[in-house]
Amino acid sequence: MLKELLDIINSIRKNSGKQPLENISETTNLREDLGFDSFDLAELEVNIEDRFGIDVFEKDIPISVSDILKKLGR
Amino acid sequence: MQNKTTKNVLLSGASKGLGLCICGKLLKSGYRVYAISRTLSGHLRELGEAHKGRLFFKEVDLSDPIGAANAVFKGDFIPRAFPLDAFVSNAAQSYEDIVSNIDEAKLEGMFKVNVFSPMLLTKYAIRNMLLNRRPGSIVHISSICAHTGYKGLSMYAATKGAIESFSIGTAREWGRRGIRSNTVSPGFMEIGMATSLSDEDADKIRRRNSLKKAADPESVADTVAFLISDGASSITGQNVCVDCGSR
Repeated sequence: MLKELLDIINSIRKNSGKQPLENISETTNLREDLGFDSFDLAELEVNIEDRFGIDVFEKDIPISVSDILKKLGR
Repeated sequence: MQNKTTKNVLLSGASKGLGLCICGKLLKSGYRVYAISRTLSGHLRELGEAHKGRLFFKEVDLSDPIGAANAVFKGDFIPRAFPLDAFVSNAAQSYEDIVSNIDEAKLEGMFKVNVFSPMLLTKYAIRNMLLNRRPGSIVHISSICAHTGYKGLSMYAATKGAIESFSIGTAREWGRRGIRSNTVSPGFMEIGMATSLSDEDADKIRRRNSLKKAADPESVADTVAFLISDGASSITGQNVCVDCGSR
């Protein structure tokens, strides 16, 4: 699961000219550690929805990787 | 086998009037059109037969914004991974009366069709473009009455003013992802909603513009086709009046 999330995150980082990350953890903060802004987060949202069939941003915006995993039920 | 270079356009209100004209223009220009409307008209069916494999239709009721967005984007009509290149929001309804007679239920119904549904469809169109990394184009059909004012059309004009502001914000917000948003404001046309006008009122409106004639729907459709084309790649956040010089 973390590997799949990392692939999505790196694809978004690549799209905005950022270097890929080697790993993420449950405590990784989406804005502070990944450097994601609202538009990167929107891209993360639609890619997670496409991959897992769940809109993890529907009710509130996740802060960390852990928040995403919880919404995905993992 | 679908041609991967053919661009995909979602078009609302495609069954009649200006929407039918835009649909015909886009098909002739080589686009693949995903048309939505309350009902499938005979004219639209004929267009589909003349352009086999490039026109797809779904009955959608825009008076239910969430239901409409789900019908278009949450099923197999436009699946998430199917890349959308453009959304042309044309469907609208007109509730005409003078301001002192405003009926709240009719007002709310019109805002659902003319504002809330186009906004929600734009939301999912942008999400589709983001997922598929498409520099998409959005065109909302507004109306010249949002700029000039006409007796009996204040509430209708307010819906168009709202969508023009929404389009400007969308353009500013999503330009960074290559997504453009523009509006087209047709003047009085001798089709669709304008046919409910009396001959006297229609003549009065014609006399107010520079060219002294009704706006040609083909000219409006050409403008829409241009705005979603690569030729308009530097145009966003704009409103184009196709109104024979009404201001």
